[in-house]
Amino acid sequence: MKIKQTSIAGTLESSDISIAVEDNDGRGIEIELVSTVENQFGGQIRKVIRETLEGLGVKDVLVRANDKGALDCTIQARVKTAVGRAVDGNLRPWEEK
Amino acid sequence: MWKLEMKERVLKLESGRDKDKLIAFLKTRGLTLDRDIQYAVAIEEEGRIVATGAFSGRVLKCIAVDEAYAGRGLSARIMNHLIREQYRRGRSRLFMFTKPKNKMIFSELGFHIVVETPTAVLLENRKDGLSRYLDEIGRECGYGDEVHVEELHTAGAVVVNGNPFTLGHRYLIEYAAARVQKLHVFVVWEDRSVFPQEIRYRLIEEGTRHLSNVVLHQGRDYIISDATFPSYFLKKDEDAAEVHAELDLTLFSRHIAPHLQITKRFVGEEPSCKVTRTYNRIMKKLLPAWEIEVEEVPRICNGQEAISASRVRELIRKGDVIAVKELVPETTYRFLQSPEAGEVIRCIRGGLR
Repeated sequence: MKIKQTSIAGTLESSDISIAVEDNDGRGIEIELVSTVENQFGGQIRKVIRETLEGLGVKDVLVRANDKGALDCTIQARVKTAVGRAVDGNLRPWEEK
Repeated sequence: MWKLEMKERVLKLESGRDKDKLIAFLKTRGLTLDRDIQYAVAIEEEGRIVATGAFSGRVLKCIAVDEAYAGRGLSARIMNHLIREQYRRGRSRLFMFTKPKNKMIFSELGFHIVVETPTAVLLENRKDGLSRYLDEIGRECGYGDEVHVEELHTAGAVVVNGNPFTLGHRYLIEYAAARVQKLHVFVVWEDRSVFPQEIRYRLIEEGTRHLSNVVLHQGRDYIISDATFPSYFLKKDEDAAEVHAELDLTLFSRHIAPHLQITKRFVGEEPSCKVTRTYNRIMKKLLPAWEIEVEEVPRICNGQEAISASRVRELIRKGDVIAVKELVPETTYRFLQSPEAGEVIRCIRGGLR
């Protein structure tokens, strides 16, 4: 799946995560993370973001994530929404099963 | 609950009431409202502003929170609103200014420090914006291999807007190129001049082709841009000019010059524009501390008057083609005669600068 336009989802409020995605010019998946819980959960947050992207079939993307202590389900939802806004067509992953 | 009483509202800057309210609030926080603000948002409690933020182009500014309301996440709400609006407008590459004491707040919100001075900090919303730019300008002059760098003894720099490229610019570049082994010429990349960026760049390229040791670079976001030196484009606010000049020149001295081993900067003497004069004055004060020599080169004259791009534009406005011919290189003159220049000339006659 190709990122067509830069998009953002989520907020900077506590317990949320802001996810911005943009095309990465063929450099693969790159994640820039700023988190209030970087030391404890940085690795896990990156893993959830990466797996969600891979699940959506996104191979080339620069993600700028700004985390305020979001749970994994929130991270997944924000990544899916940001990608949905960044690609053409109706990507509504939440409608699948 | 206190939080529910606080409402976010987009301010109507064209209405005197909102604007006065915003100016009054910013004043209590020691800030002024920049002239070029395009969008502003406020959080209000019972009609009273307790937090604000604004932007002009891709630069977020005037972000302030009432001290009594600090620590309640209001700056995050403001930033969130501004970033969302910027994305909606298709801008994802963002910059912002703040005071040094507030830099931690914004680095927690995903902004990374580009450069810091005792009075101001410039941040951008990506980690490697500056380093990618440095890589790019390094590649442009084949600095890939270390050996090459060591062989080089002196490198200089000139920054030009070239609106349009005149004999004055050419003289400055020739003068500088004769005194260093390699001369880096940075073209101001902000598209706020009447001659569009590509045309300014092309005319400089064509007009310096005879100098083999000149390397041309786009100044992009990091040399006299909207982000590093906004007052250059406002041409009015002299107090702010000093703060901005310091940021721009610190960025140059600390990151750009060392990357290209630049040890000398040449600048044309400025007879009229106060903002540019402030910039030159700060340059002479600041760069030597980083072991970069500054040489101010007097302008060349045609008749009694110094050659400048503003004089050329004035002559174009008056339609005095013969006089223009004496002030610009053959390449610029040829462009001005071409059909491509029609649009620019119409704009100048219509009063644009």
